[in-house]
Amino acid sequence: MKATTIYDKGHQWIMFGRDPEKPESIIDTNQYMIVAGNRALLMDPGGIEVFAPMLGAILHHAKVDEITDIFASHQDPDIISSLGLWDQALPHAKLHSPWLWEGFLRHFGMNNIEYVGIPDEGNELNLGEVDVRFIPAHYLHSSGNFHVYDPKAKILMSGDVGAALEASEAPLFVEDFDEHIPKMEMFHKRWMPSNRAKNDWVKRVRTLDIEYMAPQHGRIFKGENVARFIDWFEALEVGVAIP
Amino acid sequence: MGAPTEPVEDKLVALASIAAELHSVMGVVWSVSLAGKNAKVISAQAGDKGLGFRPITESIDEISQQAIRGVDDISSEALRLSKIAVHEQRSIDAYQRFNSVIKKNVDAKYIKTILPAVNKVEQSMRASISEFKKSMNNLTLLLETMDQCMLTARAVASVSRIVTSSGQEYRDKLTVVSNDLDKAARYIKQRLLNSYRHLNNVNAQR
Ligand SMILES: [Fe+2]
Ligand SMILES: [Fe+2]
Repeated sequence: MKATTIYDKGHQWIMFGRDPEKPESIIDTNQYMIVAGNRALLMDPGGIEVFAPMLGAILHHAKVDEITDIFASHQDPDIISSLGLWDQALPHAKLHSPWLWEGFLRHFGMNNIEYVGIPDEGNELNLGEVDVRFIPAHYLHSSGNFHVYDPKAKILMSGDVGAALEASEAPLFVEDFDEHIPKMEMFHKRWMPSNRAKNDWVKRVRTLDIEYMAPQHGRIFKGENVARFIDWFEALEVGVAIP
Repeated sequence: MGAPTEPVEDKLVALASIAAELHSVMGVVWSVSLAGKNAKVISAQAGDKGLGFRPITESIDEISQQAIRGVDDISSEALRLSKIAVHEQRSIDAYQRFNSVIKKNVDAKYIKTILPAVNKVEQSMRASISEFKKSMNNLTLLLETMDQCMLTARAVASVSRIVTSSGQEYRDKLTVVSNDLDKAARYIKQRLLNSYRHLNNVNAQR
């Protein structure tokens, strides 16, 4: 599992992914962690198969008892099917996830971790040195869905929005936006079910100052590529890719 | 190359199958119990003439009560065992994954901080392994007791045939009861045999 620090000014954002040991048959995912002093927030920690490489990679950056919080943007297996294992590794952590999914996520096995349901309108999490916001992204693609915005680092962790399907050795950042479009188009048309929800999200994130948009699959959008993505997504008709 | 072997039944499937076998027995056991009650009524109706039947009808009733309790105990033990097995499987899996983290990341700055969690997982794994063993022994014992109970049931059924042949009036009724008992006991014995087979599959995987 490769770890890359994408922001390091007072607190850090670390991206984990591009795991060379990952079985070919499972979708490549990006996991993220914010380290702020002696607190860390682990975001979309991934499936059971990436648990061990993830934990190994994390232990280069933070102590186990410093990982006080976990965030799951939605209920998908590639997002959080590792929950039963984190529950044993981080028994004192809190899991922040849509309130809607609590009864479902507990099926992954949760005996120790505390579930903190995020209300539909979103809220904030204070990590000591930094406050992050849980931004509503319902129906993108899950019926209860949030993104994480860090106003200090100007990073939006955007879950499946902005996802691209490509080889696991792909670069971390989008270099040529136009060239990147074919890798995202089908994914968004098929996985995102609602134009109304999409437009609602577009309106909401346009009010945010975003330097990096970091999705759960594929590459990170940086600088003007963030705005280009939002414009492209706004124009895309979604929920229609049914043969 | 050896002869093709039958695929080994999964441990969890085997345990669930025992619970299912025993569940199907429940209905039969109830009919045995009904037979026992009927036998008692018959001997009561026979009044003084029924005195000779009384020890037998009481045995039938007693055996059916024992069988109901036995099936109940076996079902709940099998269910308990399934739950322990799931827990055991999960803690073994976690233990193995945690150890692979330690093995592959000896150079990680904070690797030592995971050790308390690994110890806890190891303890929980060992606890569920020993709990599983205990419960397996318990289940084996319960199955053996039940098997004995069915042997007794068949013996009682054949004795009751002899006894009833000496009485006249209530012979037919009691013959029906003892035939039911014998049939049920044979059915249950077959289910127990199946359960043993599943249990051996569980043992084979340990
Ligand atoms: Fe998803
Ligand atoms: Fe995903």
